[in-house]
Amino acid sequence: MRWAWTAALLFSGCFGAYREPLPKEAELHHPRTPDGWELEMVRYAARPEAKGRPVLLCHGINTNGRNMDLDARHSVARWFAAHGREAWTISLRPVGTYYGKEGGKTPLSKPTYGLDELVEQDIPTAVDYVRKVTGAPQIDYVGHSLGGIVVYGYLGRGGQGIGSAVILGSPMRLDFGGPADQLLPQIAGMLSVDWAIPLKALSPLGIPMADLVPENAQELLLFNPENTTQESMKKLAMEGAEDVSIDLLQQLARMFKSGELKSRDGTRDYRLALGSVTTPVLVVAGKRDRLATVPAVKAGYLALGGPKEWKLMGVENGARADYGHMDLVLGERADTELWPAMLDFFERHAR
Amino acid sequence: MKVLLALLVVAATAARAEDLKVSRRKVVSRDGAALALYRYAPESGGGGRPAVLLVPDLGFGRETYDLAGEGLAPFLQRHGRDTYVAELRGQGNADAPAAWSLSEWTTLDLPAVVEAVQKAHPGGPVDLVVHGYGGALAVAAAPKELAGKIRRVIAFSPAAAPEVPNEIARKLLSTPGTLARAVPERQFELLFARDASIHGDTRALLEKEAPRDLGPAAAKDLLGWMEKGDLPLGDGSTVKDRIGAYDRTTLVILPLLDNWAHAEFAEPLRAMAPRARVKLRTLSKLYLEADDYSHLGMLVGRGAVKDAFVPALAFLDAPEVAP
Repeated sequence: MRWAWTAALLFSGCFGAYREPLPKEAELHHPRTPDGWELEMVRYAARPEAKGRPVLLCHGINTNGRNMDLDARHSVARWFAAHGREAWTISLRPVGTYYGKEGGKTPLSKPTYGLDELVEQDIPTAVDYVRKVTGAPQIDYVGHSLGGIVVYGYLGRGGQGIGSAVILGSPMRLDFGGPADQLLPQIAGMLSVDWAIPLKALSPLGIPMADLVPENAQELLLFNPENTTQESMKKLAMEGAEDVSIDLLQQLARMFKSGELKSRDGTRDYRLALGSVTTPVLVVAGKRDRLATVPAVKAGYLALGGPKEWKLMGVENGARADYGHMDLVLGERADTELWPAMLDFFERHAR
Repeated sequence: MKVLLALLVVAATAARAEDLKVSRRKVVSRDGAALALYRYAPESGGGGRPAVLLVPDLGFGRETYDLAGEGLAPFLQRHGRDTYVAELRGQGNADAPAAWSLSEWTTLDLPAVVEAVQKAHPGGPVDLVVHGYGGALAVAAAPKELAGKIRRVIAFSPAAAPEVPNEIARKLLSTPGTLARAVPERQFELLFARDASIHGDTRALLEKEAPRDLGPAAAKDLLGWMEKGDLPLGDGSTVKDRIGAYDRTTLVILPLLDNWAHAEFAEPLRAMAPRARVKLRTLSKLYLEADDYSHLGMLVGRGAVKDAFVPALAFLDAPEVAP
């Protein structure tokens, strides 16, 4: 019994060390989607004064808005705000509360969701909300991983209100001859769509183990330790981990099997729809990203109508280390090696 | 102690190299250029299976397939495949005419070496193993100059849809023919061998051999191909046109750390060649492979046998699948 208490104390100490509350200047907002979800958004005012369009920042799968705003040193949101762009992070629906389509005031149990709901409900709601609150006719957008995929979907449907976008490490096909090509769709297919993988609870449990196993699965999959520290990843596990809907996972897993990313009813091919996009898009890939490999990210770039630009973050192009998946938003040098290029892209495409 | 160990390693390597039965002959291209063809004849005699012809990438030579007795050529030989390595113009022991161009690989050299292999193996098509930009040129030759002569193709990073990979490559190529400067300018590792799986001694050996200068016309061709994404060939067609007609069963190997012929330049082959049956294999540490691999690492790295050669052999040995 005593050892259990000791372990619990150690663990809680471990976890507590990686807690990171939002700063005082963060302003919380909760717009509601037409289908009844209350989203969570965080606003940072531009400093010292607004010099361009507001920027909406959207996280990847299995995480939330803290992916884009981890702490003072690792925050794309606060970086943009400090460079004169009002910045908004969004946490997609699993973070929010569900009140039902009738707009009730009592929280209901959360229904399952897939990619289609994020594209058709969450992104339009967030874009319209930022435009309404700020009065800006158009906003700029930064999406990491899933956050890029959902805006690809939105842009393919017209992209109303988005002036230009930056896509960071977002795959648009995943069938490149790895063992996951067959395995992952099969595993995902066996799970019930009403379920979610409880990663919010499980992720912190990996914190004590992270330093013990070099080149562990998380490191291989998510980051290059030459760019992103274990400390940042631990903090993200505490503040930024979220559950993953099986419905969403099944939709994304099809990219491994057929290379296609389609709406649930199969009528809309999200990659094919990119051919009609006329919004300027900068697509960024990390050379050492093993989750969204360079060919997987390039597939989105190639499908885009344009105008479009491509940026590969690796030593060959002047970065101090090759970028992994999370390095694009949490890397120690991303604020000097990458984010200025994103701001420059937005400024060059400001109308 | 260290000296003793080094001597043992050298002796073992020499013994392995000595074990190999390698013969070299000259093949003359239609315009008179002398090419080099090395044969790795297996003791078993090949067992009636198609001969395998290995063509190194532009700027490289036999060393990418046989470095001091180690590599894909001896591996295939040891596994009973009658194996050949060709050095085309500008490579290794082949001629390097003053103004040779890339289209001459497609229209003159590849047909010459394939014909030479077929003469030794009458009646049967040849299996082809190709690499990088040279690999894309070989794929472009397959539907025309090599039509009916090729059975299967293994393509390591075939740059079917090339772009300028980085400013380092542009700089080396735009001072025509000075690709070899990659070594003194300390860019060799970054461009070609950026993986931990390449032993330091192996890297040093490679740097002695390669890359070679391409010559001004070929370097200009290559840079133009990267910049425009397509390369005109002598007959009015382009590499892209030719790839559109390509129909061979092909294994494309994609090393994620290739900084010369990027994986994203090679992957589009499957879309560009809709008549071909293209199978991809991504090399990634995530899949428990030894490395993410570079341009040369997948051929000379410590894990290459398990991660690249064994799957390559399995692909060659797999039974034909009905279309």
